[in-house]
Amino acid sequence: MSVTQTALAPDDRRGEVHPGAVATACHHCGETLTATNTVAASGQQFCCTGCAAAANWIQQAALEDYYRLRTVPAGRVDADPADFAGWDRESVLAEHSRNVPGGREITVLTDSMRCAACAWLVDRALHRIPGVLDAGANAVTGRIVVAWDPERVALSSLMSRLDALGYRPWLATGDAREQAKKHERRRWLIRLGVAGLGAIQAMMFAEALYLDTAGQMPLATRDFFRWITFLVSTPVVFYSGWPFLEGMWRELRGRRLGMDTLIASSTLLAYFASLFETIRGGAHVWYDAAVMFVLLLLVARMFEQRARQVASAQVDALARARPALATRERDGGTREQVALAELAVGDVVRVASGESVPADGVLLDYACAFEEALITGESAPVQRAPGTIALAGSLCREQAARIRVTRTGNDTRLSQLTRLVEQAQGERPALARVAERIASGFVLVLVPCAIAVYAWWRQHDPARALEVTLALLVVSCPCALSLAIPTALTAAHGALARMGVLGLRGDALSTLARVDRVVFDKTGTLSNGRPQLDTVSIFNGTDPDDALAIAAAMERDSGHPLAHAFADIDSNYRAGQLHSVPGHGIEALIDGRHWRLGRAEFAVGGEDDGALWLGQDNVAVARFTVGEARRDDAHAAVSALQAQGLHVELCSGDAHAPVRRFAAELGIDTVRSRQTPEQKLAHVRELQARGDVVAMVGDGLNDAPVLAGADVSIAMAEGAALAQRAADFVVTSPSLLRIPQAITLARRTQAVIRQNLAWALGYNLLALPLAASGHVTPWIAAVGMALSSLLVTLNALRLGRRTGTVARP
Amino acid sequence: MTILLLLVPISLVLLGVAIWAFVWAVRRGQFDDLDTPAIDILRDEPLPTPPPTQAPSPQEGTDAD
Repeated sequence: MSVTQTALAPDDRRGEVHPGAVATACHHCGETLTATNTVAASGQQFCCTGCAAAANWIQQAALEDYYRLRTVPAGRVDADPADFAGWDRESVLAEHSRNVPGGREITVLTDSMRCAACAWLVDRALHRIPGVLDAGANAVTGRIVVAWDPERVALSSLMSRLDALGYRPWLATGDAREQAKKHERRRWLIRLGVAGLGAIQAMMFAEALYLDTAGQMPLATRDFFRWITFLVSTPVVFYSGWPFLEGMWRELRGRRLGMDTLIASSTLLAYFASLFETIRGGAHVWYDAAVMFVLLLLVARMFEQRARQVASAQVDALARARPALATRERDGGTREQVALAELAVGDVVRVASGESVPADGVLLDYACAFEEALITGESAPVQRAPGTIALAGSLCREQAARIRVTRTGNDTRLSQLTRLVEQAQGERPALARVAERIASGFVLVLVPCAIAVYAWWRQHDPARALEVTLALLVVSCPCALSLAIPTALTAAHGALARMGVLGLRGDALSTLARVDRVVFDKTGTLSNGRPQLDTVSIFNGTDPDDALAIAAAMERDSGHPLAHAFADIDSNYRAGQLHSVPGHGIEALIDGRHWRLGRAEFAVGGEDDGALWLGQDNVAVARFTVGEARRDDAHAAVSALQAQGLHVELCSGDAHAPVRRFAAELGIDTVRSRQTPEQKLAHVRELQARGDVVAMVGDGLNDAPVLAGADVSIAMAEGAALAQRAADFVVTSPSLLRIPQAITLARRTQAVIRQNLAWALGYNLLALPLAASGHVTPWIAAVGMALSSLLVTLNALRLGRRTGTVARP
Repeated sequence: MTILLLLVPISLVLLGVAIWAFVWAVRRGQFDDLDTPAIDILRDEPLPTPPPTQAPSPQEGTDAD
């Protein structure tokens, strides 16, 4: 109503769209503007009415500073707002919010907060609404906490406000879990704080002992200092170091040696040896070594955890897999939206194509395909016959399903899996496990080594035996080894996130570095993903508006990338029995007649000419040509990839001629057109069989299996939600140049990891004989260990710094 | 050296106070978000001029389309 989008008239020949001709980008989301989609409002240009409305509101609320403060463009605002009315239901509120003085508090997730300015904007926008008691947003964890007074404002209106600003909220997995996560995070921080403060104090007291080089300190003073150090380091070793002690216990019970065993045993050895020496008045104590271990390794562990959290928080797959609402059928066949908690066993729910199944149930009426990647790990959609079970959290593909609910809430497979997934999140990436294996081998060598050294010194110089053994253990502690990989990965993921690339799988970065072939899926990746209707031709005298309306009704519910082209057309038709055939088109029943929309041979039985045909019972009714504009930087990105020595390929489902022309414009010479998803997947497998490491860049609905089949998959963020879930990396920035940049970064990360490992191993191997021969005192060992850890960390931090300057244009 | 008998306990008390203060700050959520507050300071608050009157209305006014 307030702003009108350029009206789309049938038979309107628009000709080619030149994205370069309009050099401006959307004021709000930075999307490249094309001639047909520009919306002008209040002196700025926007890509859609959603963005314009968001910017308009921001301006009215005097929050324009957002545009100055932000470092990353905002996400595109969906023009049609989601309906949050269901969130006001008592049952939803009871599960997801809790009572606070004066109202209730809820934590919601959003995946579109990209920088601190977003969090700032959300914070301010919510505070402006009367009835909001408190609001806080955290861009790193992707969480928004709102406290509101239900008497004065409804939760749904707050959520609509967020949605209208481009931050579509999702319900988190329940309030209890959110609180538990928060407490866990805080407990780690407190551990770290206690370790830091305690270690500083323990070092101070230890310093006093070290400075007494001439041994002039009276014994009483010395022992006093030792007991005080003991007092200070005890909480550090046992409270802050508890994760390591617990880890050792777990590893020992599992009869394996790992990093935790090494860390905990070194710490305990230094601690108890010191206590022993304190009691018997020996020559040395090593409390400082024990506390420093704990502090440094705790920091490393937190680095590692943070890297995982940042990667997983932004796309919280589990939270999204469970829809907030379900569409339940009433007795009369009408539908109603109900909260998930209101679903009861025996209800019949409808799941539209592309939506998640709300509860476990039995499939009714006809067979449907479900994507169960999240539940079973099987990436290909599974065809389910009527009468079989559909699992909550699986995605309905291709056509809508009717399901009779058999299990709800916490009984569903998905809920049981939530716990498992959380455990898996605690699992470390493959690279970190490599370090673990090295460490485990190290322990196996080190323990007999230390025993042998102790025995030898016991024989020859009993007074120094303990000291030398301790120095040996301290100096060979693979601190640097354990830091080498996590710090590099953390720095790399941080740099990636700043660029606008989210790594969703820890291992993917190392695969990305080895990639030698990049396969693009044309639709939406190299083009700007916004198909537009160019021409409409009519064949048997049908009213052009009518043909468009029928096509729009069919595309509306399909989630097909081309649906955008018809998004602006109002249609009174209702498509029934919608069924999409990937790679070919969609068919549906409208007003009792059977319609097909898609490639010529599918819709009208003709020869494929790259256009979209609408056919009724195999008779051509209309022909639409849909144009795609290539992205501004597609050419630059392809050249950059080729300059990196990568083979670039285009593998598209579209017809020969346009694909070839498109590829020629971009300088891609290996082209495959008219590929079905199966063919694409087979092609990727063939390339892999030849020994190539294939990165697949896609975003359409129909390349999810190909994305999963490639060694590394990259999804452009505007793509269908399904593709993102299967991808290893999601590019949230609109620029394709992020792909070559990410590959460069991945290669540099590998280089840094190799340097770090070489240094850490070299240092340990060099120090071991020196320590065994008694040339290293425990404190030199501790200093050496600290320096080598520091060096490794600084080396890793280089990754973040240099790409930081690259990322900024 | 008897001064140590006074100074060392004082340092321990200070350590205890520091840890207590840190724990208090963490529990109050001071460290939950380390990015947003940094940006807050960059902007002058338009003192008593927040437009609360128009804040609720654009909700229906602009985003309904």
